[in-house]
Amino acid sequence: MQDKMQDKNKTQVLTKARTGLEHLIKTAGKSLTVAGTSVARRDDPLKVTGKLKYGADYPDEGFLYGKILRSPHPHALIKSINTKKAKELEGVVAVLTAEDVPGRNGFGAIIPDQPVICGDKVRFIGDGVALVAAESEKIAHEALKLIEVDYEPLPALFDPRDAMAEGAPKIHESGNLLSDDKMVKGDVDAGFAEADVILERTYQVPFLEHAYLEPDTTMARLQPDGVMLVEGPMQAPFTTRRNVAPVLGIPINQVRVRQIHMGGGFGGKEDSPIDIGCRAAVLAWHTGRPVKISLEREEITIQTAKRHPMIMELKVGAKKDGTLTAFQGVIYDEQGAYASLGPKIPPAGGSHVHAMVMMPGPYEIPNVKVDAYLVYTNHPYGGAMRGFGAPQVHIAHEQMMDELAAELGISAVDIRRKNAFKLGSATATGQVLNQSVGLRETLEACAERFDWDRRLAECGWVDQAKTKRRGVGVAMGWYRTSIGTNGDGCGAAVHVHEDGSVLLYSGITEMGQGAFTVLPQICAEELGIEPGDVRIVQPDTDLVPESGPTVGSRSTTLMGNAIILAARQVKESLLDTASMMLMVPTERLEARGRKIYDRENPGKSLGFAAVAARTMASGKRMIGQGWWTPPPPSLDGHTGQGSPYHVYTYSTHMVQLVVDVETGEVALEDYVAAFDVGKAINPKALEGQIEGGVAMGLGYALMEEVVLDHGVTQNPSLQGYLIPTMLDVPDIQPLILEVPNEMGPYGAKGIGEMPNIPATPAILNAIAHASGGRVSRLPADPEKVFWAIREAGGPPQA
Amino acid sequence: MSTMELSFKLNGRALTLNVAPDTLMVDLLREDLGLTGTKAGCREGECGACTILVDGTPMNSCLMPALKVQGREITTIEGLEKADGSLEVLQEAFMGEGASQCGFCTPGMILTATALLKQNPDPDEGEIRQALSGVLCRCTGYRKIVQAVKAAAKARA
Amino acid sequence: MALPFEKLHWYSKLEVADYLVPTSLPQALDMLAAHGGRARVIAGGTDVIPELRSRKLAVSALVDVSRLPDMNAIESDGADILIGGGVTHAQAAASPLIQDKAGLLATGCGWVGSPQIRNVATLAGNLVSGQPAADASVPLLALDAEVTIASAEGLRVVPLSEFFQGVGKTVLDSSREILTSIRFKALGAKQGSAYLRLGKRKAMTLPMLVCAVVATAGQDGRSIQSAAIALGPVAPVPFRERSAEQFVAGKPATPETLAQAAETATAQCTPRDSLLRGSCDYRTEMVKVFVRRGLAAALTQAGCTIG
Repeated sequence: MQDKMQDKNKTQVLTKARTGLEHLIKTAGKSLTVAGTSVARRDDPLKVTGKLKYGADYPDEGFLYGKILRSPHPHALIKSINTKKAKELEGVVAVLTAEDVPGRNGFGAIIPDQPVICGDKVRFIGDGVALVAAESEKIAHEALKLIEVDYEPLPALFDPRDAMAEGAPKIHESGNLLSDDKMVKGDVDAGFAEADVILERTYQVPFLEHAYLEPDTTMARLQPDGVMLVEGPMQAPFTTRRNVAPVLGIPINQVRVRQIHMGGGFGGKEDSPIDIGCRAAVLAWHTGRPVKISLEREEITIQTAKRHPMIMELKVGAKKDGTLTAFQGVIYDEQGAYASLGPKIPPAGGSHVHAMVMMPGPYEIPNVKVDAYLVYTNHPYGGAMRGFGAPQVHIAHEQMMDELAAELGISAVDIRRKNAFKLGSATATGQVLNQSVGLRETLEACAERFDWDRRLAECGWVDQAKTKRRGVGVAMGWYRTSIGTNGDGCGAAVHVHEDGSVLLYSGITEMGQGAFTVLPQICAEELGIEPGDVRIVQPDTDLVPESGPTVGSRSTTLMGNAIILAARQVKESLLDTASMMLMVPTERLEARGRKIYDRENPGKSLGFAAVAARTMASGKRMIGQGWWTPPPPSLDGHTGQGSPYHVYTYSTHMVQLVVDVETGEVALEDYVAAFDVGKAINPKALEGQIEGGVAMGLGYALMEEVVLDHGVTQNPSLQGYLIPTMLDVPDIQPLILEVPNEMGPYGAKGIGEMPNIPATPAILNAIAHASGGRVSRLPADPEKVFWAIREAGGPPQA
Repeated sequence: MSTMELSFKLNGRALTLNVAPDTLMVDLLREDLGLTGTKAGCREGECGACTILVDGTPMNSCLMPALKVQGREITTIEGLEKADGSLEVLQEAFMGEGASQCGFCTPGMILTATALLKQNPDPDEGEIRQALSGVLCRCTGYRKIVQAVKAAAKARA
Repeated sequence: MALPFEKLHWYSKLEVADYLVPTSLPQALDMLAAHGGRARVIAGGTDVIPELRSRKLAVSALVDVSRLPDMNAIESDGADILIGGGVTHAQAAASPLIQDKAGLLATGCGWVGSPQIRNVATLAGNLVSGQPAADASVPLLALDAEVTIASAEGLRVVPLSEFFQGVGKTVLDSSREILTSIRFKALGAKQGSAYLRLGKRKAMTLPMLVCAVVATAGQDGRSIQSAAIALGPVAPVPFRERSAEQFVAGKPATPETLAQAAETATAQCTPRDSLLRGSCDYRTEMVKVFVRRGLAAALTQAGCTIG
């Protein structure tokens, strides 16, 4: 049975908990049957046969084609727009400008500061200034050419430091400094006074493109009942709905958003469906016809959200033995033209605050000060991308740790051993980590599997001619589960039918991460049935309860808990029925393997389906509803102190690579990535997250960058924007540890984003170890590595 | 614009169609024939999601004028499933190894691997990676895809 | 200055009124002539289709030369190797003859695009596209290849060294001419070759630098009789680095000779500072490294001892 497929050989699951908190785990003492096994992915048969329908695969019947006229200027006033000629073109049904937006002319995941159609000014190259709907894509494209826009260019800002300067032209009326956040713990001056060594460094990272392989598409249609239906691949149907409704000027319950299976999202399809969803809805509203907007690859790169670029200044102090005494940081976090997912949602939501909280790294540091500035510029905008501010700051602190270790003459592993979080550590926000802290365990397990000491000893020149040097690198990381807002609730419903089959209603979306496999596993575990008995309903805001967005590594944990609560509610009803049928008190009943039986007399049992049928016939509850919200987050607006996120995942990565010191080329050889995930609900799916996340981190390290010149994207296609190929990525070995999370389903914590995070600095540290070259401005492409080696005075000669 | 007659074999069936001279193969398959298992990810031959087999050789259908397949045998992902609904060993292996995540690259990967195994039934890891290097995957890190191809080769041996 | 419309708005369908599939060379030339310069030859299509899609190119008709007879062979008459205008990179890379007698070309062809691309893209197309970074052009230049071009006026033979005219420009006008074959001398005894390439990733990437070397060892096995060094894309066209070639001719094969040759090899290099392909300074430095390494590898293959 594919559902029972288990592959213990390839999955290293270390189940020994080291926190001593096993008694707190909900499922303590209960051996799991379904959760924890590598159940095959639910949608695999459709994927390997090409039958799974993605957004673009829906037939094109009756659609008008929507297109967006984009601004060619990074910053300009719109003096006038003439749409007359475009409207006259045969086959054009609508040409809309700002005044045609029926409701609020603004959208945004957090702040609606991005015009659906720009009216008075444009803020980046790619900003939408007019919308066209036509009978064919070709006509729509031709119509765009006929729209005449008169712009008055304004001085444009491309560096957050310039945009913060006094007297800088205002990109938005409210000013260019979107958020100014601080985190202060202890006394950094005193901390630096105590230090034997103080290092100061600056690291810089560029805009990154998600490069999900499936291009964006969206379809909007006004239903006969007046409800606007928006469909498409998307990570956050509820956020899309929350934007479409006010843009049309109608209540939320008049908008229905249906998610279509995604060909990858990585945070990018949290934002882009809001953009094209609102625009398609406005066109459908005006024309009364279904409208489809699809973006070509180049348009995605130009128009949609990116990973935020940052300039990060760090100062760190340490004792001779490596003990950290103080950390000071400044982040210039470039938001670009629009707020997207950058700014704060109280108390600790938004990528900017998250970056600030994460910046000192997973280390005990008594004295910390971070100033974090989030600044508008005339570039494309930063949004969510796998790690949400954390990958950037890890690149800074993990390189800093290595540079500090070198300065102190201690090993990169030892300095981390010295300072890494453990149970009871206080973070830079003063949060005491009182459960599920497996960071040190990941370090030791990774070092053992990787054979760090031996490999370290074997590094050095590869060839006699001394052109290639081998090195190793390590990096650690931490990542939150959930998003740190007060409103991070997650709802689910479980409907048991009279034949024992189950429908699971959840708004968590499938983008390849495996939610549609893992969530039914949790539901089946709780009800004592097989995963195949549970069908998950495609997210549709008309059907499923509000679940929040599929982001923040929150799905398995938050939705898992909601599902458990929902399942327990309906299970109570089933056990009540079974109790009467078996004449056994409910406390003695156990549900497992599609049976409900007397724990003390297992022979006394009923089939799950029979119990379901009787429950139905007796009029008892068949639906359970669950709602789970993490403990309230806190973060003081002035001091940045509090407990912003309820639990963290931890990780250590180690990599071996070779640098051609004459050219700067890098070739990865081996990779081990260890994680404390709390509990692996589906180990194989989890491995997939790890392997893919590491590959993405490799891209960030070595090749990825949206190259901008005066606001113009230079590499909008996949020929210019390079992501790793099969020949760039080594055989990545995942290593899974389980230090249970007492607030997670069966002990689970989030994992979607974590694998992406330490990969980049681990590779950069290995490059520095191999070649002497420290690349402080990404990506570490051959040229940057070459100059870094030059700057270091050449490679180590030993 | 006049159309031109095009005859070729698609997944074992002979077809004759009238196509516009500037139709690309990817669009003929997806839009005219409804075979949406062939994906368009970049439309410039970089991602490989549109890979089809032309006389058994993997090619990008996004760079191919449809009229180029005159007289050829074309295999798309839909052509791998047998009449009784059973799947090819490679398809089973992709499922068994967890080699699909979002699945968008999967048809291109499986077709490219099909051609590889036909030419080289027992490829080593380097040969697999070289042969599949023209199909991008953003989800998996490629490891389970390589494992799936190895598993399929082993299962067929 | 505002960005052009085509760089911001995409419509991926092609707009070509006619697709012609000639079955003989004269017929193909007639078809081109009939369109009066507005048709264009298509072979593998891997350059033409993206150019049509991005509206860098607009044509009234495509003339598909992939069904012309006698264009798909790789042959040798002993001294010379002849590659037909329809030969793909995959064919050339896998050809035992090319691997044995023109190793640098086999290696270069193995780097073009992806396996999918190499299965359709032709060497002739690689040349005609006139890109300074072309993976087949640079080794063919080092091999002193010449190409045969057919037009309504007849056939002409052009040495590759005179073929390239600028970025995307060659002496061949693909609205009325067809490249029918490529000819070069097979490498002999005492000859070796090397193909070196610098890119940002390990597959499917345009090179920042390509260096192709053919070297002939001296009779003593310790000196350099001659060397051909070709480079791209460090100038508007791929080119032969004659000053370095002249410098090494007749010199002892020592690390010093190679290092000095590498220093002189940058004379003709005029790479632009490119945000995507790297700075002028870096690529100039890499020319030195690649010329030195290329000479060393080619000489070693030629049986020459360096020391």
